Amino acid sequence: MSEKNPLPVAKGRAPALLLLVLVSLVALPLVLPSATLATEILIFALAALACNLLLGYTGLLSFGQGIFFGVGAYGAALLMIHLHWGLFAALLGAALFGAVLALLVGALAIRRKGIYFVMLTLAFSQMAYFLAYTLSGWTGGDNGLLDVPRPNIEIAGHVLVDLSDPRHFYAFVAVLFVLIFAGALRVIRSPFGSTLLAIRENETRAAAIGYDVRHFKILVFMLSGAITGIAGALYAMLLHFAPLSNIDLMMSENILIMTIVGGTGSLFGSLLGAGAIVVLGDVLSELWPRWLMLLGAILILVVVFMRGGLWGGLADLSKRLLPSRSAEAKAAAKTKETL
Amino acid sequence: MQRRTLLKAGLALGALGSLPLGAHRAFADESLTFYGLKSMSGAFASYGKYADMGSRLAIAEYPQLLGHPLTYKVIDTEGNAGKAVRKVQEAIGQDGARFFQGCTLSSSALAVSKEIHKAGGVFMTPVGADEITGKDCNSSTFRWSVPTYGAIRETLIPMIRQLPQAKRWYTITPQYVFGDALLDNARKVFAEFGVEHIGNSYHSLQEQEFSGYLTNAIAAKPDVLVLLNFGSQASNALRQAVNFGIKDRMHVLMVWSAGLDQFQELGSDMLEGAYLGAQYWHQVDTPLNQQLVAATQKAYGINPNYPLAADYIGTKVMLEAIVKAGSLDGAAVSAALQGMRFQGPTGEELIRPGDHQVLKDYYLLRGKAQGQMRDEDDLAEVISSGRSFVELDHTGCTLA
Repeated sequence: MSEKNPLPVAKGRAPALLLLVLVSLVALPLVLPSATLATEILIFALAALACNLLLGYTGLLSFGQGIFFGVGAYGAALLMIHLHWGLFAALLGAALFGAVLALLVGALAIRRKGIYFVMLTLAFSQMAYFLAYTLSGWTGGDNGLLDVPRPNIEIAGHVLVDLSDPRHFYAFVAVLFVLIFAGALRVIRSPFGSTLLAIRENETRAAAIGYDVRHFKILVFMLSGAITGIAGALYAMLLHFAPLSNIDLMMSENILIMTIVGGTGSLFGSLLGAGAIVVLGDVLSELWPRWLMLLGAILILVVVFMRGGLWGGLADLSKRLLPSRSAEAKAAAKTKETL
Repeated sequence: MQRRTLLKAGLALGALGSLPLGAHRAFADESLTFYGLKSMSGAFASYGKYADMGSRLAIAEYPQLLGHPLTYKVIDTEGNAGKAVRKVQEAIGQDGARFFQGCTLSSSALAVSKEIHKAGGVFMTPVGADEITGKDCNSSTFRWSVPTYGAIRETLIPMIRQLPQAKRWYTITPQYVFGDALLDNARKVFAEFGVEHIGNSYHSLQEQEFSGYLTNAIAAKPDVLVLLNFGSQASNALRQAVNFGIKDRMHVLMVWSAGLDQFQELGSDMLEGAYLGAQYWHQVDTPLNQQLVAATQKAYGINPNYPLAADYIGTKVMLEAIVKAGSLDGAAVSAALQGMRFQGPTGEELIRPGDHQVLKDYYLLRGKAQGQMRDEDDLAEVISSGRSFVELDHTGCTLA
């Protein structure tokens, strides 16, 4: 369903990739006009990363990511507002809501393949939107859910980190991002991840070998749902507000666009994609009221000319800029083969 | 992953908190910046354009304020509540922004009002959500437009009085908070005046095809069809009603029209004979409205419409309050706004201290035939106007 992974994560590259993530996270708030904007990028990068696990590594094109994002936002907000849950408990709750809902959606949608799977996720997305819209007593309906708290990091009533400061909240989201990124890297480099890649490459063959394909797909769907749920919860905390747009189809589309623009099959591409789309949105909206058309054009260009997304484009560029080293490596390999 | 890699990651991130993240914070200068929250792009860009024009007109009247040069900065809300909140947070955090006016979407205004209140700023908005001066009111937020209660009473009651033979009324309602608020208020008016509410059709938020609802309405044989939706849905419902020949069989009332720009889009063929509720009409004869029409024609060569007038007066009143307070302190400006009387587009207007609702007129208009129009914007005539507001103890606002 998706383009084949142009840049499979090679063994031994994980530390370099993590270092790249760390450098990026340190640079983001310094380069961007505000820590709040940087936080929004990281939150959407988390959502895109979760989408990448489905699209890039399992070949599942899901239009249901907005469901998990919205449910994470509403779930965490309601737990904090009504049950006065703390930060970590609310985030865990959001992950749980996301995973359980992904289990329900996945259990039905994964029964079908290809376009039928896509249509089912689309149908679930519409259902979730209208459910949130109808349950206005819980979700605030069209007005959104207001007064969402952003709890501090506390131990025994003592405030360790005051997250009302946007810089502190950015640092907290950055730590979470690194942990989830490292966890996702670990997953895709594990036998489980290799099986996902096998399913993506040839589902029939993977099943013939003896893998329970449906079981693996549901598991990765749940993992993706949990991470997207956390992203939704963080977004509600960032805004102190959970708008209805969190759960609409447009949110699913945005997450997919970020994933594709960044590069499917590249976890770091998720950060690039989210950064590009969020920042471009801010810049382009100031240039032209119909900026979404420009965004559409950019998406077309990326899909046509950079099939590996921005990450793939950067890799191609680095190869072109450093031809001697790759040529040397090829020559060395040839010599080795000859020997 | 190696433990060392994880440790390095933790150390690097721990250092984040101590980095000079506010390096872009602008140094406080002598100028005072006023922020306009406008949907300059996205689905509501056409509204935001006029709203921005209105704010700019008001800003131009005050080159200086309390000795500070006055500058105006637009925050593009993109018709997206999440983006609006994030950009307002940035303006407050980075630039120390305190004075905001605007918003198109109720959801944006409700969320933004909370952020501005926390920062001790002041916010005036024309949005429709009754909650903004109801259960979600706060000391920093003020609203210019008439709530659903007043819109219903100032359109239905004059029509009931003018059309005593019209006893059977049918409603078409969008099924969400705004639509239900209009419907609840309409039912109360029907009961109060002994009018029979013979039926209602609910439609979804995204509905654009109304033939089924209109067929139901025709079958019920009402004397008046009341459209309780707004924007493009109201326009499409009216267009389709006209195509069905409904205007020949019954009276049609659009309770919450968007005013001149919507009427221009519909044209006199659609509007002729239709009753239209409006927050503002450029032909109203009040001193400030005459000034506003002249200024708008001079600056832009057009007549002012609702978004332009609403954001003009919202901005102007806030600037007047800053002068009245003699201070740039948000709390002092809020206090100055409470109970303030001023000349508005609808005549003398008052900010009610108990809920920060501006008490102003709402209009019932009737669409003119093309032959009666004196100019291309003379699309409707004012049938009646008046003020109806919920008593303070019924608003749900706890400011008083």
